[in-house]
Amino acid sequence: MKRVGIVALNTFREAVRDRVLYNLVFFALLMMLAAVVVGQISIGIEESVIVSLGLSAISVIGLLISVFIGVALVSKEMEKRTLYALLAKPVRRWEFLLGKFGGLVLTLAVNTAAMAAGLFLVMLYVKHSLQREDAVVLVAVYFIWLKLALIVALALMFSCFTTPLLAILFTAGLYIVGLYVQELRNLPVDVMSPATAAFTKWLSYLLPNFENFNVMAMAAHGRAVPGTLILQNTLYVVIYCAIVLTGAAAVFSRKNLK
Amino acid sequence: MKSQRAVALLLVLILPLGFAGIWRLQHGIDSQLAAVSQERDDVLLRSGKLVKWMSLEYSPLLADIYWTRVVQYYGNKHVRRQANLEMLWPLLDVTTTLDPNLVVAYRFGAMFLSQAPPAGAGRPDQAVELIRRGIQANPDYWRLYEDLGFVYYFDLKDYQKASEAFLEGSKKPDALVWMKVMAAKIAAEGESFSTSMFLWNDIYESSSDPLIKKNALQRLELLKAQEDCKQLNALADEYAKRNGRRPARMSDLVQAGLLRGVPADPEGFAYVFGEDGKAEINLDSPLLEQQLLLERLNKAVPR
Repeated sequence: MKRVGIVALNTFREAVRDRVLYNLVFFALLMMLAAVVVGQISIGIEESVIVSLGLSAISVIGLLISVFIGVALVSKEMEKRTLYALLAKPVRRWEFLLGKFGGLVLTLAVNTAAMAAGLFLVMLYVKHSLQREDAVVLVAVYFIWLKLALIVALALMFSCFTTPLLAILFTAGLYIVGLYVQELRNLPVDVMSPATAAFTKWLSYLLPNFENFNVMAMAAHGRAVPGTLILQNTLYVVIYCAIVLTGAAAVFSRKNLK
Repeated sequence: MKSQRAVALLLVLILPLGFAGIWRLQHGIDSQLAAVSQERDDVLLRSGKLVKWMSLEYSPLLADIYWTRVVQYYGNKHVRRQANLEMLWPLLDVTTTLDPNLVVAYRFGAMFLSQAPPAGAGRPDQAVELIRRGIQANPDYWRLYEDLGFVYYFDLKDYQKASEAFLEGSKKPDALVWMKVMAAKIAAEGESFSTSMFLWNDIYESSSDPLIKKNALQRLELLKAQEDCKQLNALADEYAKRNGRRPARMSDLVQAGLLRGVPADPEGFAYVFGEDGKAEINLDSPLLEQQLLLERLNKAVPR
Protein backbone atom coordinates (compact mmCIF):
# COMPACT_ATOMS: atom_id res chain seq x y z
CA MET A 1 0.00 0.00 0.00
CA LYS A 2 2.97 2.27 0.69
CA ARG A 3 4.06 1.87 -2.94
CA VAL A 4 0.59 2.87 -4.12
CA GLY A 5 0.83 5.97 -1.94
CA ILE A 6 4.21 6.92 -3.40
CA VAL A 7 2.94 6.58 -6.99
CA ALA A 8 -0.19 8.58 -6.06
CA LEU A 9 1.83 11.38 -4.47
CA ASN A 10 4.13 11.57 -7.49
CA THR A 11 1.14 11.65 -9.84
CA PHE A 12 -0.25 14.57 -7.83
CA ARG A 13 3.13 16.38 -7.93
CA GLU A 14 3.34 15.79 -11.67
CA ALA A 15 -0.15 17.24 -12.20
CA VAL A 16 0.82 20.33 -10.20
CA ARG A 17 4.08 20.61 -12.20
CA ASP A 18 2.05 20.33 -15.43
CA ARG A 19 0.10 23.43 -14.32
CA VAL A 20 -3.18 21.51 -14.16
CA LEU A 21 -4.30 23.72 -11.28
CA TYR A 22 -4.04 26.81 -13.51
CA ASN A 23 -7.72 26.21 -14.35
CA LEU A 24 -8.46 27.72 -10.95
CA VAL A 25 -7.56 31.14 -12.29
CA PHE A 26 -10.09 30.70 -15.10
CA PHE A 27 -12.69 29.56 -12.56
CA ALA A 28 -12.02 32.55 -10.31
CA LEU A 29 -12.36 35.00 -13.20
CA LEU A 30 -15.57 33.34 -14.42
CA MET A 31 -17.16 33.51 -10.98
CA MET A 32 -16.14 37.11 -10.40
CA LEU A 33 -17.54 38.11 -13.78
CA ALA A 34 -20.79 36.24 -13.12
CA ALA A 35 -21.19 37.80 -9.68
CA VAL A 36 -20.95 41.29 -11.15
CA VAL A 37 -22.79 40.84 -14.45
CA VAL A 38 -25.73 38.53 -13.70
CA GLY A 39 -27.42 40.89 -11.29
CA GLN A 40 -27.47 43.55 -13.97
CA ILE A 41 -28.80 41.51 -16.89
CA SER A 42 -31.34 39.26 -15.22
CA ILE A 43 -34.05 39.28 -12.57
CA GLY A 44 -34.27 37.27 -9.38
CA ILE A 45 -31.58 34.65 -10.11
CA GLU A 46 -28.53 36.44 -8.70
CA GLU A 47 -28.08 33.79 -6.01
CA SER A 48 -29.18 30.63 -7.82
CA VAL A 49 -27.18 31.37 -10.97
CA ILE A 50 -23.98 31.68 -8.94
CA VAL A 51 -24.56 28.19 -7.56
CA SER A 52 -25.54 26.60 -10.88
CA LEU A 53 -22.77 28.36 -12.79
CA GLY A 54 -20.19 27.51 -10.12
CA LEU A 55 -21.20 23.86 -9.93
CA SER A 56 -21.36 23.56 -13.72
CA ALA A 57 -17.88 25.07 -14.02
CA ILE A 58 -16.51 22.73 -11.33
CA SER A 59 -18.08 19.81 -13.16
CA VAL A 60 -16.91 20.77 -16.69
CA ILE A 61 -13.36 21.64 -15.60
CA GLY A 62 -13.18 18.43 -13.57
CA LEU A 63 -14.52 16.42 -16.49
CA LEU A 64 -11.88 17.78 -18.85
CA ILE A 65 -9.13 17.03 -16.34
CA SER A 66 -10.36 13.54 -15.53
CA VAL A 67 -10.90 12.47 -19.13
CA PHE A 68 -7.78 13.95 -20.72
CA ILE A 69 -5.34 13.41 -17.85
CA GLY A 70 -6.97 10.13 -16.85
CA VAL A 71 -6.32 8.73 -20.31
CA ALA A 72 -2.77 10.12 -20.37
CA LEU A 73 -1.85 8.63 -16.98
CA VAL A 74 -0.69 5.35 -18.45
CA SER A 75 -0.17 6.20 -22.13
CA LYS A 76 2.19 9.10 -21.33
CA GLU A 77 4.35 6.87 -19.12
CA MET A 78 4.50 4.32 -21.92
CA GLU A 79 5.22 6.92 -24.59
CA LYS A 80 8.02 8.50 -22.55
CA ARG A 81 9.24 5.03 -21.58
CA THR A 82 9.34 6.04 -17.89
CA LEU A 83 6.98 3.16 -17.15
CA TYR A 84 9.71 0.62 -17.85
CA ALA A 85 12.07 2.19 -15.31
CA LEU A 86 9.27 2.25 -12.77
CA LEU A 87 8.15 -1.32 -13.29
CA ALA A 88 11.77 -2.49 -12.98
CA LYS A 89 11.47 -1.46 -9.33
CA PRO A 90 9.45 -3.55 -6.87
CA VAL A 91 6.12 -2.05 -7.95
CA ARG A 92 3.40 -4.34 -9.23
CA ARG A 93 1.40 -3.27 -12.21
CA TRP A 94 -1.87 -3.05 -10.28
CA GLU A 95 -0.12 -0.95 -7.63
CA PHE A 96 1.05 1.41 -10.35
CA LEU A 97 -2.49 1.70 -11.71
CA LEU A 98 -4.06 2.20 -8.30
CA GLY A 99 -1.42 4.81 -7.45
CA LYS A 100 -2.09 6.67 -10.68
CA PHE A 101 -5.81 6.60 -9.98
CA GLY A 102 -5.29 7.78 -6.41
CA GLY A 103 -2.98 10.58 -7.53
CA LEU A 104 -5.42 12.00 -10.04
CA VAL A 105 -8.35 11.65 -7.65
CA LEU A 106 -6.27 13.54 -5.08
CA THR A 107 -5.50 16.24 -7.67
CA LEU A 108 -9.21 16.49 -8.46
CA ALA A 109 -10.03 16.67 -4.74
CA VAL A 110 -7.64 19.61 -4.25
CA ASN A 111 -8.88 21.28 -7.43
CA THR A 112 -12.55 20.77 -6.59
CA ALA A 113 -12.06 21.90 -2.99
CA ALA A 114 -10.30 25.08 -4.15
CA MET A 115 -13.09 25.84 -6.63
CA ALA A 116 -15.72 25.11 -3.96
CA ALA A 117 -13.97 27.57 -1.64
CA GLY A 118 -14.05 30.16 -4.45
CA LEU A 119 -17.73 29.44 -5.04
CA PHE A 120 -18.54 29.96 -1.36
CA LEU A 121 -16.63 33.24 -1.37
CA VAL A 122 -18.66 34.49 -4.34
CA MET A 123 -21.87 33.27 -2.66
CA LEU A 124 -20.88 35.22 0.43
CA TYR A 125 -20.28 38.31 -1.72
CA VAL A 126 -23.64 38.02 -3.48
CA LYS A 127 -25.79 36.93 -0.52
CA HIS A 128 -23.84 38.86 2.16
CA SER A 129 -24.20 35.87 4.52
CA LEU A 130 -24.29 32.10 4.32
CA GLN A 131 -27.23 30.08 5.64
CA ARG A 132 -27.49 26.50 6.83
CA GLU A 133 -29.24 25.38 3.61
CA ASP A 134 -26.16 26.47 1.63
CA ALA A 135 -24.49 23.30 2.94
CA VAL A 136 -26.30 21.47 0.12
CA VAL A 137 -23.79 23.11 -2.26
CA LEU A 138 -21.05 21.20 -0.44
CA VAL A 139 -22.98 17.96 -1.03
CA ALA A 140 -23.29 18.83 -4.73
CA VAL A 141 -19.51 19.47 -4.91
CA TYR A 142 -18.87 16.13 -3.18
CA PHE A 143 -21.13 14.38 -5.70
CA ILE A 144 -19.22 16.01 -8.57
CA TRP A 145 -15.97 14.73 -7.09
CA LEU A 146 -17.44 11.21 -6.79
CA LYS A 147 -18.53 11.39 -10.43
CA LEU A 148 -15.05 12.53 -11.48
CA ALA A 149 -13.44 9.64 -9.57
CA LEU A 150 -15.62 7.23 -11.52
CA ILE A 151 -14.69 8.90 -14.81
CA VAL A 152 -10.97 8.68 -13.95
CA ALA A 153 -11.39 4.93 -13.31
CA LEU A 154 -13.13 4.51 -16.67
CA ALA A 155 -10.53 6.59 -18.52
CA LEU A 156 -7.76 4.60 -16.89
CA MET A 157 -9.38 1.32 -17.87
CA PHE A 158 -9.89 2.34 -21.52
CA SER A 159 -6.34 3.68 -21.75
CA CYS A 160 -5.06 0.22 -20.72
CA PHE A 161 -6.22 -1.50 -23.90
CA THR A 162 -6.65 1.14 -26.60
CA THR A 163 -5.12 4.28 -28.06
CA PRO A 164 -5.44 7.58 -26.15
CA LEU A 165 -7.83 9.07 -28.74
CA LEU A 166 -10.17 6.09 -28.63
CA ALA A 167 -9.93 5.99 -24.83
CA ILE A 168 -11.05 9.65 -24.71
CA LEU A 169 -13.94 8.91 -27.06
CA PHE A 170 -15.02 5.82 -25.11
CA THR A 171 -14.86 7.62 -21.76
CA ALA A 172 -16.73 10.69 -23.02
CA GLY A 173 -19.28 8.45 -24.76
CA LEU A 174 -19.86 6.36 -21.65
CA TYR A 175 -20.26 9.52 -19.58
CA ILE A 176 -22.94 10.84 -21.94
CA VAL A 177 -24.71 7.47 -22.09
CA GLY A 178 -24.52 7.33 -18.29
CA LEU A 179 -26.54 10.53 -18.10
CA TYR A 180 -29.45 8.89 -19.94
CA VAL A 181 -29.56 5.55 -18.14
CA GLN A 182 -32.90 6.54 -16.62
CA GLU A 183 -34.30 7.07 -20.14
CA LEU A 184 -33.14 3.57 -21.01
CA ARG A 185 -35.19 2.23 -18.12
CA ASN A 186 -38.23 4.23 -19.19
CA LEU A 187 -38.27 2.87 -22.75
CA PRO A 188 -41.70 1.51 -23.69
CA VAL A 189 -41.25 -2.22 -23.00
CA ASP A 190 -44.65 -3.06 -24.56
CA VAL A 191 -43.28 -2.59 -28.08
CA MET A 192 -40.11 -4.64 -27.41
CA SER A 193 -39.55 -8.34 -27.43
CA PRO A 194 -39.12 -9.78 -23.90
CA ALA A 195 -35.45 -10.49 -24.67
CA THR A 196 -34.77 -6.89 -25.77
CA ALA A 197 -36.66 -5.52 -22.76
CA ALA A 198 -34.65 -7.73 -20.41
CA PHE A 199 -31.40 -6.73 -22.14
CA THR A 200 -32.23 -3.00 -21.92
CA LYS A 201 -33.05 -3.33 -18.25
CA TRP A 202 -29.89 -5.32 -17.59
CA LEU A 203 -27.82 -2.79 -19.54
CA SER A 204 -29.28 0.13 -17.59
CA TYR A 205 -27.95 -1.36 -14.36
CA LEU A 206 -24.61 -2.31 -15.87
CA LEU A 207 -23.79 1.15 -17.22
CA PRO A 208 -22.54 3.80 -14.79
CA ASN A 209 -25.49 6.01 -13.84
CA PHE A 210 -24.14 9.56 -13.75
CA GLU A 211 -27.60 10.99 -13.15
CA ASN A 212 -27.22 9.71 -9.55
CA PHE A 213 -24.84 12.56 -8.83
CA ASN A 214 -26.89 15.37 -10.33
CA VAL A 215 -28.21 17.47 -7.46
CA MET A 216 -27.36 20.78 -9.08
CA ALA A 217 -31.00 21.93 -9.22
CA MET A 218 -31.50 21.05 -5.55
CA ALA A 219 -28.36 22.99 -4.64
CA ALA A 220 -29.42 26.01 -6.73
CA HIS A 221 -32.75 26.16 -4.88
CA GLY A 222 -31.35 25.33 -1.43
CA ARG A 223 -33.26 22.03 -1.10
CA ALA A 224 -31.70 19.47 1.21
CA VAL A 225 -30.21 16.22 -0.12
CA PRO A 226 -31.12 13.14 1.97
CA GLY A 227 -28.22 11.71 3.99
CA THR A 228 -29.03 8.21 2.71
CA LEU A 229 -28.39 9.36 -0.87
CA ILE A 230 -24.95 10.64 0.13
CA LEU A 231 -24.11 7.25 1.62
CA GLN A 232 -25.58 5.32 -1.31
CA ASN A 233 -23.72 7.39 -3.91
CA THR A 234 -20.44 7.00 -2.00
CA LEU A 235 -20.87 3.22 -1.88
CA TYR A 236 -21.91 3.17 -5.55
CA VAL A 237 -18.68 4.90 -6.59
CA VAL A 238 -16.48 2.77 -4.31
CA ILE A 239 -17.95 -0.48 -5.69
CA TYR A 240 -18.05 0.70 -9.33
CA CYS A 241 -14.46 2.00 -9.17
CA ALA A 242 -13.34 -1.29 -7.58
CA ILE A 243 -14.92 -3.23 -10.46
CA VAL A 244 -13.49 -0.96 -13.17
CA LEU A 245 -10.00 -0.80 -11.63
CA THR A 246 -9.92 -4.57 -11.16
CA GLY A 247 -10.77 -4.92 -14.85
CA ALA A 248 -8.13 -2.34 -15.74
CA ALA A 249 -5.52 -4.10 -13.59
CA ALA A 250 -6.37 -7.44 -15.21
CA VAL A 251 -5.90 -5.98 -18.71
CA PHE A 252 -2.78 -4.02 -17.75
CA SER A 253 -1.14 -7.01 -16.03
CA ARG A 254 -1.42 -9.05 -19.22
CA LYS A 255 -0.45 -6.20 -21.51
CA ASN A 256 2.67 -6.77 -23.54
CA LEU A 257 4.72 -3.68 -22.85
CA LYS A 258 7.51 -4.45 -25.28
CA MET B 1 18.72 43.70 -36.06
CA LYS B 2 17.71 46.41 -38.48
CA SER B 3 15.07 44.26 -40.11
CA GLN B 4 13.64 43.37 -36.67
CA ARG B 5 13.35 47.05 -35.84
CA ALA B 6 11.63 47.68 -39.16
CA VAL B 7 9.13 44.91 -38.52
CA ALA B 8 8.42 46.30 -35.03
CA LEU B 9 7.92 49.79 -36.47
CA LEU B 10 5.63 48.39 -39.14
CA LEU B 11 3.61 46.58 -36.47
CA VAL B 12 3.30 49.74 -34.38
CA LEU B 13 1.91 51.51 -37.44
CA ILE B 14 -0.20 48.71 -38.85
CA LEU B 15 -1.91 47.61 -35.63
CA PRO B 16 -3.54 50.93 -34.64
CA LEU B 17 -4.23 51.97 -38.22
CA GLY B 18 -5.58 48.56 -39.11
CA PHE B 19 -7.91 48.40 -36.11
CA ALA B 20 -9.02 51.99 -36.67
CA GLY B 21 -9.94 50.98 -40.20
CA ILE B 22 -11.77 47.88 -38.96
CA TRP B 23 -13.66 50.01 -36.42
CA ARG B 24 -14.81 52.45 -39.09
CA LEU B 25 -15.68 49.66 -41.48
CA GLN B 26 -17.75 47.84 -38.84
CA HIS B 27 -19.75 51.02 -38.22
CA GLY B 28 -20.46 51.16 -41.94
CA ILE B 29 -21.47 47.48 -42.01
CA ASP B 30 -23.68 47.97 -38.93
CA SER B 31 -25.58 50.83 -40.52
CA GLN B 32 -25.97 48.86 -43.75
CA LEU B 33 -27.29 45.86 -41.83
CA ALA B 34 -29.58 48.03 -39.71
CA ALA B 35 -31.11 49.44 -42.91
CA VAL B 36 -31.94 46.00 -44.25
CA SER B 37 -32.56 44.23 -40.95
CA GLN B 38 -35.84 42.57 -40.18
CA GLU B 39 -37.23 41.07 -37.03
CA ARG B 40 -34.52 38.68 -35.93
CA ASP B 41 -36.16 37.32 -32.80
CA ASP B 42 -36.32 33.59 -32.91
CA VAL B 43 -36.30 30.67 -30.58
CA LEU B 44 -34.47 28.00 -32.49
CA LEU B 45 -35.31 25.14 -30.18
CA ARG B 46 -38.88 25.43 -28.96
CA SER B 47 -39.14 22.06 -27.31
CA GLY B 48 -38.23 22.39 -23.65
CA LYS B 49 -37.91 18.62 -23.34
CA LEU B 50 -35.44 18.47 -26.23
CA VAL B 51 -33.36 21.31 -24.80
CA LYS B 52 -33.38 19.59 -21.40
CA TRP B 53 -32.33 16.33 -23.00
CA MET B 54 -29.49 18.06 -24.81
CA SER B 55 -28.32 19.97 -21.76
CA LEU B 56 -26.72 16.84 -20.23
CA GLU B 57 -26.64 17.55 -16.49
CA TYR B 58 -26.50 21.32 -16.81
CA SER B 59 -30.20 22.11 -17.15
CA PRO B 60 -30.30 24.44 -14.09
CA LEU B 61 -27.60 26.63 -15.61
CA LEU B 62 -29.28 26.55 -19.01
CA ALA B 63 -32.57 27.51 -17.34
CA ASP B 64 -30.83 30.56 -15.85
CA ILE B 65 -29.46 31.45 -19.28
CA TYR B 66 -32.90 31.10 -20.87
CA TRP B 67 -34.44 33.18 -18.10
CA THR B 68 -31.85 35.90 -18.70
CA ARG B 69 -32.84 35.71 -22.38
CA VAL B 70 -36.49 36.22 -21.38
CA VAL B 71 -35.56 39.28 -19.32
CA GLN B 72 -33.41 40.73 -22.11
CA TYR B 73 -36.09 40.04 -24.74
CA TYR B 74 -38.83 41.60 -22.63
CA GLY B 75 -36.62 44.52 -21.57
CA ASN B 76 -35.64 45.35 -25.17
CA LYS B 77 -39.23 45.22 -26.36
CA HIS B 78 -40.35 47.27 -23.37
CA VAL B 79 -37.74 49.96 -23.97
CA ARG B 80 -38.64 50.16 -27.68
CA ARG B 81 -42.36 50.02 -26.84
CA GLN B 82 -42.81 47.14 -29.25
CA ALA B 83 -45.96 45.14 -28.75
CA ASN B 84 -45.02 41.88 -30.50
CA LEU B 85 -43.90 39.61 -27.70
CA GLU B 86 -44.69 36.33 -29.41
CA MET B 87 -41.36 34.76 -28.42
CA LEU B 88 -42.12 35.25 -24.73
CA TRP B 89 -44.17 32.10 -24.30
CA PRO B 90 -41.74 29.67 -26.03
CA LEU B 91 -38.84 31.15 -24.06
CA LEU B 92 -40.71 30.81 -20.77
CA ASP B 93 -41.84 27.32 -21.72
CA VAL B 94 -38.23 26.20 -22.29
CA THR B 95 -37.02 27.97 -19.12
CA THR B 96 -39.57 26.33 -16.85
CA THR B 97 -39.14 22.91 -18.46
CA LEU B 98 -35.40 23.11 -17.89
CA ASP B 99 -35.87 24.07 -14.24
CA PRO B 100 -39.41 23.59 -12.91
CA ASN B 101 -38.34 25.05 -9.55
CA LEU B 102 -37.21 28.40 -10.93
CA VAL B 103 -40.15 30.25 -9.34
CA VAL B 104 -38.94 33.64 -10.48
CA ALA B 105 -39.66 32.60 -14.09
CA TYR B 106 -43.30 31.81 -13.27
CA ARG B 107 -43.79 34.94 -11.17
CA PHE B 108 -42.30 37.58 -13.44
CA GLY B 109 -43.01 35.60 -16.60
CA ALA B 110 -46.73 35.69 -15.77
CA MET B 111 -46.49 39.43 -15.23
CA PHE B 112 -44.79 39.93 -18.59
CA LEU B 113 -47.41 37.75 -20.30
CA SER B 114 -50.54 39.09 -18.64
CA GLN B 115 -50.20 42.85 -18.94
CA ALA B 116 -51.56 44.60 -21.99
CA PRO B 117 -48.97 45.63 -24.65
CA PRO B 118 -46.51 47.30 -24.60
CA ALA B 119 -46.15 46.60 -20.86
CA GLY B 120 -46.68 42.91 -21.61
CA ALA B 121 -47.82 40.37 -24.18
CA GLY B 122 -51.52 40.82 -23.41
CA ARG B 123 -51.95 37.08 -22.90
CA PRO B 124 -53.42 36.55 -19.42
CA ASP B 125 -54.59 33.09 -20.52
CA GLN B 126 -50.96 32.03 -21.02
CA ALA B 127 -50.02 33.71 -17.73
CA VAL B 128 -52.61 31.56 -15.94
CA GLU B 129 -51.26 28.43 -17.66
CA LEU B 130 -47.70 29.32 -16.66
CA ILE B 131 -48.61 29.94 -13.02
CA ARG B 132 -50.67 26.75 -12.83
CA ARG B 133 -47.65 24.87 -14.15
CA GLY B 134 -45.53 26.57 -11.47
CA ILE B 135 -48.02 25.59 -8.76
CA GLN B 136 -47.89 21.99 -9.94
CA ALA B 137 -44.09 21.94 -9.62
CA ASN B 138 -43.97 24.05 -6.41
CA PRO B 139 -47.27 23.33 -4.64
CA ASP B 140 -46.26 24.89 -1.31
CA TYR B 141 -45.07 28.23 -2.66
CA TRP B 142 -47.92 30.59 -1.71
CA ARG B 143 -46.70 33.56 -3.76
CA LEU B 144 -47.70 31.74 -6.97
CA TYR B 145 -51.33 31.73 -5.76
CA GLU B 146 -51.01 35.45 -5.15
CA ASP B 147 -49.81 35.88 -8.74
CA LEU B 148 -52.67 33.74 -10.03
CA GLY B 149 -55.18 35.83 -8.09
CA PHE B 150 -53.49 38.97 -9.41
CA VAL B 151 -53.94 37.92 -13.05
CA TYR B 152 -57.58 36.91 -12.47
CA TYR B 153 -58.28 40.15 -10.62
CA PHE B 154 -56.57 42.72 -12.85
CA ASP B 155 -56.34 41.16 -16.30
CA LEU B 156 -59.21 38.70 -16.57
CA LYS B 157 -61.56 40.53 -14.17
CA ASP B 158 -62.70 37.15 -12.91
CA TYR B 159 -63.20 38.02 -9.24
CA GLN B 160 -64.60 34.62 -8.28
CA LYS B 161 -61.47 32.82 -9.48
CA ALA B 162 -59.24 35.56 -8.05
CA SER B 163 -60.84 35.06 -4.65
CA GLU B 164 -60.44 31.27 -4.94
CA ALA B 165 -56.74 31.64 -5.81
CA PHE B 166 -56.10 33.90 -2.80
CA LEU B 167 -58.02 31.52 -0.53
CA GLU B 168 -56.13 28.46 -1.79
CA GLY B 169 -52.82 30.28 -1.34
CA SER B 170 -53.74 31.33 2.19
CA LYS B 171 -53.76 27.65 3.20
CA LYS B 172 -50.14 27.13 2.21
CA PRO B 173 -47.27 27.20 4.72
CA ASP B 174 -45.78 30.66 5.39
CA ALA B 175 -48.67 32.39 3.55
CA LEU B 176 -49.28 35.87 4.92
CA VAL B 177 -52.56 36.57 6.73
CA TRP B 178 -53.70 39.16 4.19
CA MET B 179 -54.17 36.41 1.55
CA LYS B 180 -57.30 35.23 3.40
CA VAL B 181 -58.48 38.81 3.90
CA MET B 182 -57.98 39.51 0.20
CA ALA B 183 -59.95 36.39 -0.76
CA ALA B 184 -62.90 37.52 1.34
CA LYS B 185 -62.68 41.16 0.19
CA ILE B 186 -62.59 40.29 -3.51
CA ALA B 187 -65.42 37.78 -3.10
CA ALA B 188 -67.54 40.48 -1.43
CA GLU B 189 -66.59 43.61 -3.38
CA GLY B 190 -65.07 42.55 -6.69
CA GLU B 191 -62.70 45.25 -7.93
CA SER B 192 -62.09 48.07 -5.47
CA PHE B 193 -59.60 50.89 -5.07
CA SER B 194 -58.17 49.63 -1.77
CA THR B 195 -57.69 46.06 -3.08
CA SER B 196 -56.01 47.27 -6.27
CA MET B 197 -53.76 49.60 -4.30
CA PHE B 198 -52.81 46.82 -1.89
CA LEU B 199 -51.97 44.34 -4.65
CA TRP B 200 -49.85 46.76 -6.70
CA ASN B 201 -48.18 47.98 -3.53
CA ASP B 202 -47.26 44.39 -2.65
CA ILE B 203 -45.70 43.95 -6.11
CA TYR B 204 -43.78 47.20 -5.60
CA GLU B 205 -42.56 46.22 -2.14
CA SER B 206 -41.68 42.59 -2.90
CA SER B 207 -39.75 43.21 -6.13
CA SER B 208 -36.18 44.44 -6.32
CA ASP B 209 -36.16 44.82 -10.10
CA PRO B 210 -36.21 48.49 -11.20
CA LEU B 211 -38.36 47.80 -14.29
CA ILE B 212 -41.04 45.99 -12.31
CA LYS B 213 -40.87 48.54 -9.50
CA LYS B 214 -41.32 51.38 -12.00
CA ASN B 215 -44.29 49.68 -13.61
CA ALA B 216 -45.91 49.03 -10.21
CA LEU B 217 -45.30 52.62 -9.15
CA GLN B 218 -46.93 53.95 -12.34
CA ARG B 219 -49.97 51.74 -11.70
CA LEU B 220 -50.15 52.94 -8.10
CA GLU B 221 -49.95 56.56 -9.19
CA LEU B 222 -52.62 56.04 -11.83
CA LEU B 223 -54.92 54.32 -9.35
CA LYS B 224 -54.40 57.20 -6.93
CA ALA B 225 -55.14 59.74 -9.67
CA GLN B 226 -58.26 57.85 -10.75
CA GLU B 227 -59.51 57.74 -7.17
CA ASP B 228 -58.72 61.46 -6.73
CA CYS B 229 -60.72 62.25 -9.88
CA LYS B 230 -63.65 60.23 -8.51
CA GLN B 231 -63.58 62.23 -5.26
CA LEU B 232 -63.24 65.53 -7.14
CA ASN B 233 -66.24 64.62 -9.30
CA ALA B 234 -68.25 63.99 -6.14
CA LEU B 235 -67.24 67.45 -4.89
CA ALA B 236 -68.09 68.94 -8.29
CA ASP B 237 -71.57 67.34 -8.02
CA GLU B 238 -71.95 68.94 -4.61
CA TYR B 239 -70.83 72.31 -6.07
CA ALA B 240 -73.38 71.94 -8.91
CA LYS B 241 -76.13 71.23 -6.37
CA ARG B 242 -75.28 74.43 -4.47
CA ASN B 243 -74.64 76.76 -7.44
CA GLY B 244 -76.72 75.29 -10.25
CA ARG B 245 -73.71 74.88 -12.52
CA ARG B 246 -70.63 72.66 -12.60
CA PRO B 247 -67.25 74.20 -11.61
CA ALA B 248 -65.06 75.37 -14.51
CA ARG B 249 -61.81 75.33 -12.53
CA MET B 250 -60.46 73.62 -9.42
CA SER B 251 -60.14 77.01 -7.78
CA ASP B 252 -63.98 77.23 -7.88
CA LEU B 253 -64.11 74.32 -5.41
CA VAL B 254 -61.50 76.06 -3.23
CA GLN B 255 -63.47 79.32 -3.26
CA ALA B 256 -66.65 77.40 -2.39
CA GLY B 257 -64.87 75.97 0.66
CA LEU B 258 -65.08 72.39 -0.64
CA LEU B 259 -61.29 72.09 -0.99
CA ARG B 260 -58.44 73.61 1.00
CA GLY B 261 -56.22 74.02 -2.05
CA VAL B 262 -55.89 72.94 -5.67
CA PRO B 263 -55.11 69.22 -5.52
CA ALA B 264 -52.26 67.70 -7.54
CA ASP B 265 -51.70 64.21 -8.92
CA PRO B 266 -48.81 62.03 -7.57
CA GLU B 267 -46.52 63.61 -10.20
CA GLY B 268 -47.29 67.07 -8.78
CA PHE B 269 -49.53 68.37 -11.61
CA ALA B 270 -52.81 70.01 -10.65
CA TYR B 271 -56.02 68.24 -11.66
CA VAL B 272 -58.28 70.08 -14.09
CA PHE B 273 -61.92 69.92 -15.15
CA GLY B 274 -62.52 68.82 -18.74
CA GLU B 275 -65.07 70.17 -21.20
CA ASP B 276 -67.66 67.70 -19.89
CA GLY B 277 -67.14 69.08 -16.36
CA LYS B 278 -65.43 65.92 -15.11
CA ALA B 279 -62.13 65.98 -13.21
CA GLU B 280 -59.16 64.92 -15.30
CA ILE B 281 -55.40 64.51 -15.14
CA ASN B 282 -53.55 67.63 -16.26
CA LEU B 283 -52.50 67.65 -19.92
CA ASP B 284 -48.89 68.29 -18.87
CA SER B 285 -48.77 65.35 -16.45
CA PRO B 286 -46.81 62.26 -17.56
CA LEU B 287 -49.59 60.21 -15.95
CA LEU B 288 -51.99 61.26 -18.70
CA GLU B 289 -49.95 59.44 -21.33
CA GLN B 290 -49.98 56.30 -19.18
CA GLN B 291 -53.71 56.54 -18.66
CA LEU B 292 -54.49 57.08 -22.34
CA LEU B 293 -52.23 54.21 -23.29
CA LEU B 294 -53.91 51.87 -20.85
CA GLU B 295 -57.40 52.93 -21.91
CA ARG B 296 -56.54 52.47 -25.58
CA LEU B 297 -54.99 49.08 -25.00
CA ASN B 298 -57.76 47.88 -22.72
CA LYS B 299 -60.15 48.58 -25.58
CA ALA B 300 -57.87 47.03 -28.20
CA VAL B 301 -56.90 43.81 -26.42
CA PRO B 302 -59.69 41.23 -26.36
CA ARG B 303 -60.19 39.56 -22.99
